[in-house]
Amino acid sequence: MTASKKIVLLGHFGVGKTSLVRRFVEDTFSDNYKVTIGVHILKKEVKLPENQINLIIWDIEGSEDITRTRSSYLLGSHGFIYVFDTTRKSTYENLAADLEHIRSNYNDVPVLVVGNKSDLVTRAHLRENKQHFSLAQYFSSAKTGENVETLFEDLTKKLIE
Amino acid sequence: MNENDKLNILKDILLTDDREYAESIVKRMETLENLVHTRSKLSDKVDPIIDHKLDEFIHEIPRTLGPTITETLKTEIKNSKDQVVEALYPIMGKMIKKYVWQEIKLLSERVSKQVEDSFSAKSWKRRVKSWFTGVKEHDLILSELGNATIEQVFVIEKNSGILLGNYSKTETIDKEMFSGMLTAIKSFVEDAFQQKGQNLELIEYELYNIHIQSFVSYYIAVVISGQYTTPIKNKLQDIIFNFSQNFLSLVIYNPDITKNDIVNELNYYFNNDRI
Repeated sequence: MTASKKIVLLGHFGVGKTSLVRRFVEDTFSDNYKVTIGVHILKKEVKLPENQINLIIWDIEGSEDITRTRSSYLLGSHGFIYVFDTTRKSTYENLAADLEHIRSNYNDVPVLVVGNKSDLVTRAHLRENKQHFSLAQYFSSAKTGENVETLFEDLTKKLIE
Repeated sequence: MNENDKLNILKDILLTDDREYAESIVKRMETLENLVHTRSKLSDKVDPIIDHKLDEFIHEIPRTLGPTITETLKTEIKNSKDQVVEALYPIMGKMIKKYVWQEIKLLSERVSKQVEDSFSAKSWKRRVKSWFTGVKEHDLILSELGNATIEQVFVIEKNSGILLGNYSKTETIDKEMFSGMLTAIKSFVEDAFQQKGQNLELIEYELYNIHIQSFVSYYIAVVISGQYTTPIKNKLQDIIFNFSQNFLSLVIYNPDITKNDIVNELNYYFNNDRI
């Protein structure tokens, strides 16, 4: 079976949403930061044993307040990836509230929480922020590619369950 | 000690300060002379001043000389139209040539198609029309060539922007990314004006028009080349509504409708791509 699914990346400015998508779709990484304005849409085919899923990935501009994210971009989503920056507290200190907002507005849509830039933090830092980081299912690095493929594939599997 | 010696002693006493002053002036003069005659030393001193003045000059040009230059250019262009045309001709010529070549190619392809269809029912209809109206057949062919043509049709899920099915004369960019991006643009425009219940209906893109017809759960985008007039729009809407009516009943009676089913339906309604 072939199907198309829309997934949206959420999170603050500069947490690495675009870099994660680039790493997943094009297998590239750049240190040059270019802010996303509006939305950037990319496509990637994910082949699972019995299905082929065309992921239509909406990489939307970052927002410090999730309630102000353009809701029309989120409508009809089949899955969300919430990305925070493990090196910047401001991007994860309201993580619980942000997730609550997403779950209350998009009830049945699966959400994966990802702490990005894991190559820049120490184990001690991860332990110190356990309270926030325990909400994350994945720690990834768009720079090294760590966990990038896995998180997109796992989300795809959830979408067809 | 004669008078002269006495005078010298007196001079020594009275003019000591002046002599020292004179000697210091001589020293300064020598330093200055050395500075002026040694290129690198002079350059070290003078260059920063010149640079600063040049920066100031460059910064001030738009304000001081700008209006004068603009006025002079205007006058020169006015007085030397022929030279300006001559200078621009090669650039403009290339652009126009490319455009005309492209259009002639398109026209030639369409004429060839019309000639190939010379024994079709449509061709006979045109001949009859020509005979009755007195308009020459080749004029009728040319007028038909300006008609609107459906290039592509997309059926897109309204919220997600997922492509449900499409009809296309030619392969183009990634259809699914196009559907997503078109949905994002549509949502953005509709949000921006904050008018509930209003929809983006038309996008003009050089030789193409994208007609957008919104329904409750999906919308249809039709890419048209040629003249997009009100009668054409009405006719196109009729085709879309006919398709939509059938499409909805298909969805109701067959919830597992596949992309191929939708594509077949689109082919049926839009295959006769001339409106």
